[in-house]
Amino acid sequence: MNCSELRDHYELYALALAENPERDEIRAHLDRGCEVCLAQMKRAREMTALLGAISAPAAISPRLRRRILASVGAGQRSFGWTPFLAGSTIMCLAAAFYFGGREWDFSREVLRLNEQSRSQIIEITRLNGAFAILNGPDTTVASFGEKTGQPKGKVFCNLTLGCLLIASNLPQAPAGKAYELWFIPKAKGASPIRAGIFQSESDGTAIDVRRGPVDMDATAALAVTMEADTGVDVPTSTPVIVASLAPALQ
Amino acid sequence: MFLLPILLAFRAAEGDADIVVRLQRREPQALADLYDRYGRVAYSLILRVVRDTGIAEDLVQETFLRIWNRVHAFDARKGAVGPWLLAVARNRAIDYLRSSGGRERHAVEFAETDRPSLYTGMDLGILASDKARAIGAAVEKLSAHQRQAIELAYFEGLSQTEIAERMGQPLGTVKTWVREALKNLRDEVGARAVSA
Repeated sequence: MNCSELRDHYELYALALAENPERDEIRAHLDRGCEVCLAQMKRAREMTALLGAISAPAAISPRLRRRILASVGAGQRSFGWTPFLAGSTIMCLAAAFYFGGREWDFSREVLRLNEQSRSQIIEITRLNGAFAILNGPDTTVASFGEKTGQPKGKVFCNLTLGCLLIASNLPQAPAGKAYELWFIPKAKGASPIRAGIFQSESDGTAIDVRRGPVDMDATAALAVTMEADTGVDVPTSTPVIVASLAPALQ
Repeated sequence: MFLLPILLAFRAAEGDADIVVRLQRREPQALADLYDRYGRVAYSLILRVVRDTGIAEDLVQETFLRIWNRVHAFDARKGAVGPWLLAVARNRAIDYLRSSGGRERHAVEFAETDRPSLYTGMDLGILASDKARAIGAAVEKLSAHQRQAIELAYFEGLSQTEIAERMGQPLGTVKTWVREALKNLRDEVGARAVSA
């Protein structure tokens, strides 16, 4: 075919719509450098390109540009947030560890102070009880342990407030043992009345407060024995302290 | 109105030659400049073909990578990189449509876009020229059947036989519509070129 016969087929060829034999003819003309066909194809390709530009413009994502440039190894020289984010994360974690540790320390300190406060309140309550007995107008006093080497001290008893035992030279009770206080009734054959257990300090001193009314008329003495640290119902050992209340009542 | 972005995109068509030279020197910034100039129009074309933004983005990336990889064969003094890029973009999109639809690929068409030397001698600013403005108006002037046939060929890559099947018309009728449509477009664009 000559070029004039192909005149209406160049655009078809450019759009891939040309069919044989015209398609093969145009290719053959182009391959042998036919100037007419090359010029016609240039015109046809121009029109094809123009058709491509009539599409309604669409909004394109900004990240696509970054993707394309990254694919040819062109990283954008933009402000890099990654190091700052990583640094911030590390600082936040460090702060969390630091303040978490501080919080744990504070919690432990609060628990310790609470425990200390509770102990002090108990001790203050005990001392208040002791002072109340000591200052009571009808409190009586009895001494014991006048002999050298024996436990000695005083017993303060008040009809309504209770009794206060202050002792010294009292050996520390061995493991599993404790001192137990007894009220010894005046009535013959009556059993000693339990009044609680206590421990002596390392220096041999002891202060024990038994709060509550005391039947002074029926009580002859206070005694202390060493018993099992859980306490017993009746004394099982020789008293280490016996303080007679009779002289005080007279 | 719809040509405005194109005009803006191609307002500096005379800079294409410089971009091509820098692309051939493997300067990534040249690809960025090329993208800034033709990225949107290529994306719009591909999106119209595939109608999926994610796929369109992938195909735009493929298009620019193909330009990057084959630009060494381009004559920077004579070549019009815009028409070549749009041809590559269209072929990538239609290739995707055919692959996903199990249709046969047109080997000749794809071989052509791999030869950038075929895009030499064109007006460097053709996409921003009066011809570009004329083609839109010329397409609007086509009859509905002619316009549909051209759009099926261009934007879906259908053969004339496939267009006939799609439109439910005899093949001869479709061939006539296509031929008349292309002649009308050629005459309109040619007339605008002469008057310009």
